[in-house]
This record gives sequence, structure tokens and C-alpha cells, in this order.
Amino acid sequence: MWIILVYDISTENREGQKRLNKVRKIAKRYINHVQKSVFEGNITKSKLERLKSELLQVINKKEDSLIIYIFDDLVDYKREILTEGEDPTSNIL
Amino acid sequence: MGRVYYITHSGELRREENTIIFENSSIKKSIPIEDIDELFLFSEVSTNSKALALLSKKGVIAHFFNHYGYYIGSFYPRETNLSGFLLIKQVEHYTNTQKRLYLAKAFVEGAIVNLSTLFGLRKEDYLFALREAKNIPEVMKVEADLRKDFYRRLEQETGWEFEKRTKRPPQNPLNALISFGNSLVYAKVLGEVYHTQLNPTVSYLHEPSTKRFSLCLDIAEVFKPILSDVLIVKLIRDGVLQEYHFSEELNFTYLSPEGRRLFAKAFDELLESTVRHRRLKRKISHRQLIRLELYKLIKHLLAEENYRPLNYASL
Repeated sequence: MWIILVYDISTENREGQKRLNKVRKIAKRYINHVQKSVFEGNITKSKLERLKSELLQVINKKEDSLIIYIFDDLVDYKREILTEGEDPTSNIL
Repeated sequence: MGRVYYITHSGELRREENTIIFENSSIKKSIPIEDIDELFLFSEVSTNSKALALLSKKGVIAHFFNHYGYYIGSFYPRETNLSGFLLIKQVEHYTNTQKRLYLAKAFVEGAIVNLSTLFGLRKEDYLFALREAKNIPEVMKVEADLRKDFYRRLEQETGWEFEKRTKRPPQNPLNALISFGNSLVYAKVLGEVYHTQLNPTVSYLHEPSTKRFSLCLDIAEVFKPILSDVLIVKLIRDGVLQEYHFSEELNFTYLSPEGRRLFAKAFDELLESTVRHRRLKRKISHRQLIRLELYKLIKHLLAEENYRPLNYASL
């Protein structure tokens, strides 16, 4: 399935800064870094569960915001890149 | 299931933040390790043991190709799917002449059936010759004749000159494409064999002593028509690959990096595209077809079900 993960980590203190880096490091092992706090990519159900549990161990549920959009299939789905440059999710580089 | 990643630029492959990162002077891209199933490295890539350790831990095979697009070899991580029992069965089928001949014929039959249906060749003569073949060299002769017939067809279909099959070095674009396509299929089959209990060195049609993973060569016979030969014709017909994608250097012709990128892209799209499988009653990607073929072979070796090669037309 395809997922889009967006996060907004509260970085008011050093703790937050650390959490931000940890979240980014975890996410980049599973899917592609598309924009500053946006990740996107193909993932299996089991790996998604693993990703979620890893993230939940790191984030602060009260202060941060973390949203995952899940597309079971890519029917009725369009994705347009309006800018120049390579598609960040491409597997040919 | 992850994806296959193809790297066509030269640069460095490193481990960073527990994932794989590819970097050169113009690009820096981090590749999600959990999304990699296999790596195809088409140009000069340097790496280190830290990166290989991570690949090994995650069971990712890396296939290396040299500057000219020739297959160098694969980084084959520590085997985790081992079965001594199946290995014994594999060897039994090799040492028993009749059993070996059955499998060798089956692989060539797959090649005949698939190549003829895809290119409208007459298969009856070849199938007859195959039935009559008494030993492995005769079986290989049938395969060679079939290929010769196909190469003539290839010239007609593409309008490009072929003359004869030349390797090391290939002497014209068509030969270069065939070599490149075959090595992709061969590497891809190896990637799938890794995930089964089969031992890639024990083979039936090809001699197992050729210092290669020769079982992959056997299985590749069945898939070359579908995954490589058709692709070559399609790429030339659609004008994706043209004369300028080949550079002549030192008197031989090879695919340019851009040409290799285009070929790899088309190859990947083909692998991920699906066909409806009648027996399984669901859609199966071409990549999964290879795995299914290996499972069929395992069943044959374990005497559960006789191996019949994939007939692409009857899917």
C-alpha cells in the first residue's frame, strides 16, 4: 500500500529537537523523504505496523502531531509534481 | 515486498542513519532500507563493508555490472533459508541421468513454447527434436537452433542488423542488447532464488561446474523470451532506444549509461506489471512468476508434483 506520512514535532525545547531527528531517522528507513516533514512511499502492512510502533515510542502524543494517510490501492489517485527535478520516490537513480 | 532499486550513476553507496545513502557530486539520495528488495548497480559504485553489513542484515542482494554493462557478480548475503534435505534432492536429480534429462528438457521446452508464441515461430519441429534428444548436448543443440531462428526474426522485427551472435564483446547494438537483457534476467532470477531454499549452484541444463550460479541460467531460459527478448523488440519499435544510445569504443558496441537507464526502467515496469493467473485466480506480477516457477521446481524435486515449465500463453 502507499502511504503519506506528515509530522509536526514541537521543537520549542531541546527535547523536541531530539524527537524531530529521531522521527526523521525512523521514517527514512521505511519510505522516501519528499519534503521537510513529509515522507511518502510504498510499504507493506506489517512494515507499516512496525513503523508506527517505532514512532510511537519516540513522539510526545500531547505536543506533537503525526498523521499517516493510507492508500490501500492507487485507484482513483493522482499525483502531480509541478516542479522540476527527479521524483524523490523513484527507484531508478 | 519492497522494490528493486537501480543505480545508473557512479558514486558512493554508504550506510548513514541506519539506511543506505547514494551520493556523488550532483546527487545525494537516501534509499529507505526497508523498501529495498534488490539492488542493481550499473556503474562504478564504491561502497564499504558497513553498507554491505546492513544489506546482509536485511537480506538485500546487490548485483554489480561493470562500465560496459557486463554482469560482474552479486553480493549474496548470508543464506537464511537453508534446507539440507532439498539440497540432497537437488543433487539426486542431477546425478540420475534420466531425472536430469527430464528437467533439462523442461527448461528448453519452456524456452521453445514462450519464444514461439511471442514471436510466431513454428514450435512443432523443435518440440519434436527435443523429445528425440537423448543427452544434454542434444538438448542444448535444440535450444541453439531455436535461438538462431529467433535471431533472424529479431532482425525482421526491428530492422536492425544482427549478423550473428557475438559476445565478449558484442559487435553490434542488437547483440549488446541481448547480452544486457540476459544478464538482467539472470541476476533477477538469482534474486528470487535467494528467497527460496534452492541451492543456486546445482543445475540441470547447464553444467554446475561453470563457476556461476548455474541454476539461474537454467530458469532464465524460460524467462528470457518474456522478460528480455520481447522488451528489446518493444524498446526499439517504440523508438525508446536509438542508435545514439550505443557508443562505439575500442571497436565494440555497448549501451550508454542513458540507454542502460532506459532499459532498466522498462525492465522494472515489466517486472511489476501483472497478468491474471488462471490457476491461482488472481493477478500476479512478472516478478512473482519467477518465484512461482521456483516453487514448482521445489515441488518437483520433492516429488509432490511434476515440473511443467511456465507457458506464458496459457496463463
